[in-house]
Amino acid sequence: MKNAGRLLAQLAIVAAMFLFWEMAVRTGLANARIVPPPSEVLPRAITMLGDPVVLHNLWITSAQVMLAFVLVAPIGVAIGLLLGESDYFGRAFKPFFFFVASVPKSVFLPVFILAFGIGFTQKVAFGMFQAIFVLVISAIAAAESVSPDYLKMARAYGASRRQIYVDIYLPAMLPVIVEGLRLGMIFNITGVLFAEMYVSRAGLGHLVSTWGMSFQMVNLFAGILLAASLSIAVNELLRWYENRVGAWRG
Amino acid sequence: MSAGADKANDGRPLWLAVVASPLTMRLACLGAILLFWELAPRMEWISPVMLSTLSSTVMIGFANIDVFLANLGVTLGSLLLALVIALGGGAVVGVLLGSIRPLRNTLLPIMSSIYAVPLVVVYPVFTAWVGIGVESKVLFGGLYGFFPMLLATAAGIRTVDSRYMLAARSMGATRVQVILHVMLPAALPSVISGVRIGSALTAIGVVVAEMMAATAGIGFLITQNRTMFNTAEVYFGVLLVVVLAGTIDWLVSVFERRAADWYPQKVRAI
Repeated sequence: MKNAGRLLAQLAIVAAMFLFWEMAVRTGLANARIVPPPSEVLPRAITMLGDPVVLHNLWITSAQVMLAFVLVAPIGVAIGLLLGESDYFGRAFKPFFFFVASVPKSVFLPVFILAFGIGFTQKVAFGMFQAIFVLVISAIAAAESVSPDYLKMARAYGASRRQIYVDIYLPAMLPVIVEGLRLGMIFNITGVLFAEMYVSRAGLGHLVSTWGMSFQMVNLFAGILLAASLSIAVNELLRWYENRVGAWRG
Repeated sequence: MSAGADKANDGRPLWLAVVASPLTMRLACLGAILLFWELAPRMEWISPVMLSTLSSTVMIGFANIDVFLANLGVTLGSLLLALVIALGGGAVVGVLLGSIRPLRNTLLPIMSSIYAVPLVVVYPVFTAWVGIGVESKVLFGGLYGFFPMLLATAAGIRTVDSRYMLAARSMGATRVQVILHVMLPAALPSVISGVRIGSALTAIGVVVAEMMAATAGIGFLITQNRTMFNTAEVYFGVLLVVVLAGTIDWLVSVFERRAADWYPQKVRAI
């Protein structure tokens, strides 16, 4: 019940922000030509979802994001678990990954263009590159988050190897790994959109960038609204799952 | 195995322990990468258009160092202004949202959802509003670093032990005194991690904005050279940005060590 009240308050705040935005334009506080009111932007965003051109570009962006994610998730998690579990490889390569994780990765985009051109492959590769380091680091953290006490306890009670993996390792690691997947997904989406806005011939980022340069402000705002809602939805979905698998931590 | 590598003797000869140590492994890999960088374009394993040799990257970069430094200066100017917005704004809003309960329960989750939005799509709005000059970089960089600073500050404030607050209030501290002398010192580690992430993101925001549309700055220079296929200049520019980010990170660590000298005893003494 308390949660419902909180959600209601949040909805009210979001609604108030949209209302303020609308009133600011109506009263002339903001210029409607550069700040289109929500009463124009929201319907445009909805009609966009029926527009074949927008849908085609949205599909290209989603395909790049999903392919990059499907490819990078197992690689990143595997590297992270190896570095977290193996003392030798951990000490050899962990500092490298911690260092690279702190380096800004967007600036490497031109390098990807030189290497892969400006097409689909380059977007997927860049999305993977953006996501892999946070994945590795969270998988290292996941491997290290398994409490030795639990293992000792399980062994003392005669747990089998399979039981130890399924009942100790998996529940202990999953929340941390899912958090890494969520952050990796955010970086992946940002990377793909940035790559599309930088140089490309298709995708949501390409549309947004074109609308901005040609001053189609209603389209631009509607496109931003679409991109924002989609990534918030993906993020909240993964966060919900993260909380579910992490519920045992209390 | 690992302890053996540390002590460098568990029955094995010393040279073997040194050769097989993790540090040697790491340095060998680093060496191999640098060697590959030099050899691959030189031997045409990779086209020199894709990757310029390490030596030519550095030499061509230093031959044009005046151009690079002039543009780096423009970037630094935008960055400083953007940091004021990101860190200052983020800290103020973070303290407000972290310390006022109704705001903390409603607005803070909204803020953390907004953090998931790929802000890069907002950049065309800034260029449409204020043009492609320095202003759009300052605004965009500021926006990029604002949310992590806000969230870290609020998280730090929220985790302050409520007994400290109770003690301060019962001794008659005003709201401002509580914020300045209890909340901020106790939240400092979290605030500093916000400064670290926030300033890194502000820097990358400024450079990304320069890469997309600009007339000057290191990001602009990288993009300009990329369109002309001046591969060595592109790589040198990227290296400079990495060095810039490393320097910022180092400055924050220096500040972090200073800050650790100021506060912890006082906090523990309460």
